Amino acid sequence: MPTLASFAKGHSFPPVSFDLTSDWVNGYVAAVEDEAISQLGADLVPPMAVAALAIRALLEQSGLPPGTLHAGQELTFAAPVRTGDSLAVTAEIVSRGERAGWVLMSIDLRVDRGRESVMTGRSTVSFPIGEGVAA
Amino acid sequence: MTQQRTLAEVGASLPSVTKLITQDKINTYAQAGGDKNPLHTDAEFAARTQFGGTIAHGMLVLAYVSEMLTAAFGEDWLARGRMKIRFRAPARPGDTVTASGNVTFTSGGRIVCAVECRNSAGELLISGEAEVRA
Repeated sequence: MPTLASFAKGHSFPPVSFDLTSDWVNGYVAAVEDEAISQLGADLVPPMAVAALAIRALLEQSGLPPGTLHAGQELTFAAPVRTGDSLAVTAEIVSRGERAGWVLMSIDLRVDRGRESVMTGRSTVSFPIGEGVAA
Repeated sequence: MTQQRTLAEVGASLPSVTKLITQDKINTYAQAGGDKNPLHTDAEFAARTQFGGTIAHGMLVLAYVSEMLTAAFGEDWLARGRMKIRFRAPARPGDTVTASGNVTFTSGGRIVCAVECRNSAGELLISGEAEVRA
């Protein structure tokens, strides 16, 4: 599998679809110990679960170069998401630069439920120049 | 909501969230999030990195910030929330981390908050801004 290091600015990742199964949602909520979401409604999903899913979709199509660091994150939530929803994730590399031996890359993420956008975001990662290029 | 009216005042504190980071929790998150970067889960690999040991996923620690915002703003956070943060330092197994924040600006149903996450030594792990439209 190629790593992020293989891709240039403008690269779009193919859409990935997910069904938010109760097993996955329960596993996520247990992992992050979210005690607030259950106060809102039994089937509402933590918004960060949607963000995690978007990043998971990216990682299923591209490995991380060794030494990758998550530098920053922007997220906008546009609608509550519920267990059982079907979501589609798309991603595009919107910037790539090099500085002091490191690549700095920003990736825009979008999560849709049908024709409705439920989340957009931008992940910024950095990794050493030359790492993961031939992986 | 009464809680939201209270939080619509500049200077109001958000209800903080404190969690203990453990390797088991990191491993569980790696499974759920599909992020199996060995920096998080492989002690031998991580020992050879600049961090000297495993670290938590940034998105795991950021989930604590989001939990705080969910507790503060309810479904408004899920439907009309926005966040922009930087990861400043890693959280490690054994760290107790606290997400906190306070309201910095309000106008016409728009509430802007400074948010952060620190470990028990006071080291800043995450800093940034969150916004909710009520």
